[in-house]
Amino acid sequence: MNAAWIVFQKELMEVLRDRRTMMAIGLAALATPLVLFVISEVSTQTATQTYTVGYSGEIPTGLAILLQATGLKLKAVADPAAAAVKQVDLGVAFLPGEIDEYYDPTRQSAQIADVRLQTILGQYDAAQAAAALKNSGIDPGILTPIKLVGHPLSSPVQAASNAFLSFFLPYILITMILTGGFSAALDSSAGERERRTLESLLLTPAPRSRLLLGKIGAITVVSLAAAVVAIGSMFVALTQISLPGSSSHITLSPAAVPVMVWLALLIAFSFSSVSLALGTLAKNFRQGQAYVTPLYFITILPASIILFIPDFNPNLAYYLIPILNAVLVLRDAIVHNSVSWMALTVTSLSLLATGALSWFAALRLFTREALLTK
Amino acid sequence: MTDAAVAVERLEKTLGKNRVLQGISFEAKPGEIFGLLGPNGAGKTTTLRIICTLLSRDAGTVKVEGFDTTTEPQEVRRRIGVVTADIGVYPRLSARENIEYFAKLCGLMDGELTRKVDAVIERLDMGSFAKQRAESLSSGQKQKVAIARAIVHDPEVLMFDEPTSNLDVLASKEVREFMVEAKGRGKCVIFSTHVMHDAERLCDRMAILHHGLIVASGPTEQVRGTERDLESAFLALVEA
Repeated sequence: MNAAWIVFQKELMEVLRDRRTMMAIGLAALATPLVLFVISEVSTQTATQTYTVGYSGEIPTGLAILLQATGLKLKAVADPAAAAVKQVDLGVAFLPGEIDEYYDPTRQSAQIADVRLQTILGQYDAAQAAAALKNSGIDPGILTPIKLVGHPLSSPVQAASNAFLSFFLPYILITMILTGGFSAALDSSAGERERRTLESLLLTPAPRSRLLLGKIGAITVVSLAAAVVAIGSMFVALTQISLPGSSSHITLSPAAVPVMVWLALLIAFSFSSVSLALGTLAKNFRQGQAYVTPLYFITILPASIILFIPDFNPNLAYYLIPILNAVLVLRDAIVHNSVSWMALTVTSLSLLATGALSWFAALRLFTREALLTK
Repeated sequence: MTDAAVAVERLEKTLGKNRVLQGISFEAKPGEIFGLLGPNGAGKTTTLRIICTLLSRDAGTVKVEGFDTTTEPQEVRRRIGVVTADIGVYPRLSARENIEYFAKLCGLMDGELTRKVDAVIERLDMGSFAKQRAESLSSGQKQKVAIARAIVHDPEVLMFDEPTSNLDVLASKEVREFMVEAKGRGKCVIFSTHVMHDAERLCDRMAILHHGLIVASGPTEQVRGTERDLESAFLALVEA
């Protein structure tokens, strides 16, 4: 039997009996729906929240009904400016021909109430102007000499779903592949030194490259299992809850599925090799954690770029940067339901090269004498 | 052509700035227990690690059953079994699974695998705890697992590096008995220790290492010489 296969089977058996790794995968399955539920609840609450407008003076005819219909509750106050500091979300003084608005921009509730008030006042002004023109026998259409007619090229609902998925899916995929395999990688490298089993393992006639291959294979499988569990639970959760901007349930575009599976394999292989190499440097599990943890922050950063710059359109050179390239390719597949083969090829080569380099590094570390003498 | 199972000639090794071995030579033969004695830091463990291919040598030659440790390391590893003081076992595997894992990596398969694992479990009287996870075993039981996995492929050369230093009296006795039994079956046993009493009782021949040099070697009686016991002879040698 091939030594790599023997090591692979043994490592997987140990992982299945390891509470730490199983708990990490279980938590991944629970945490993803929980995060989605919280996002859904917060967004629903924000959308339906009623804000209080403290006012003085006489409210223009018809405006009160419009404000209340938009979730702005009116409350008479003596001094709107003072009330807007804490007592109410927004202060408004209705003066003849003028409305003075008081709000604290550091309060989120004040910001939302302000946007709602501005929107309503805009619509109210337009309606008043149109009515006045009509009464004077003038066509209100002169207020909009150029009429804008929108023709969305894709469903706005699907676009909102895709925007959410384009950030959330790569994020979950990368973090789960990384964290899911952490424990197994450290147990398989630093753990061998800590348990003092490494020497016995290296004394077997099996070539060291095969031993390492078996270990990397097992860690890759564990990482992928964690990602599958997390993404599976995410999609199950998405059938039960709706997210901001999306009235129907979120679905993944057909092009994104094979791209995601392919990239997940490459990322898992790369991460397994990197974390095994770092774990081999460590003398024990705790030291290994210290070495591997920064990797988490380094890899999360590219995923976050999509959040902050959703329309980031890089040239091909950016696809050489591991992880960032996977995030970009996955984003394009999700948002546009299409794949740039050139970008995918560069990304695949980059991730394969990262994995191969890490594999060689791990092999070098795994065969150095210092592993046993220090 | 020598009949030695292990032949070490002018072996040198430096670790960092420390010249651990300074040209040592000895031979260990089948059917004998060869003692490698010396105080801590004398170079015993380094010598054994070079013999079993874990470390490379800087100069000299080391052969196991005629195979060179540098050019044919895999052939050497097929022919050796090593038991160390550090009892490292996989805690989440049972005693039997631990043995099977190493047996498979040594190339045993199917019927031969089962037969040899069963045989070694019976020989070391491990039947009562073979299915228990290693994490729940005592130190003595773990040491038996370590011995079992080192001998399951029936190697010609067995190396014991301070095998009893972490064990209680009963477990130590069993390890010593095992070494004698292995010698009786024609195996070459190399026993590294700083416990002179054990060495005197068990070893047929020995080499005393001090600061990376062999300061005495030969049959146990010859090394002891006119001193009252081996410990006195050893002290006289290293303090000289």
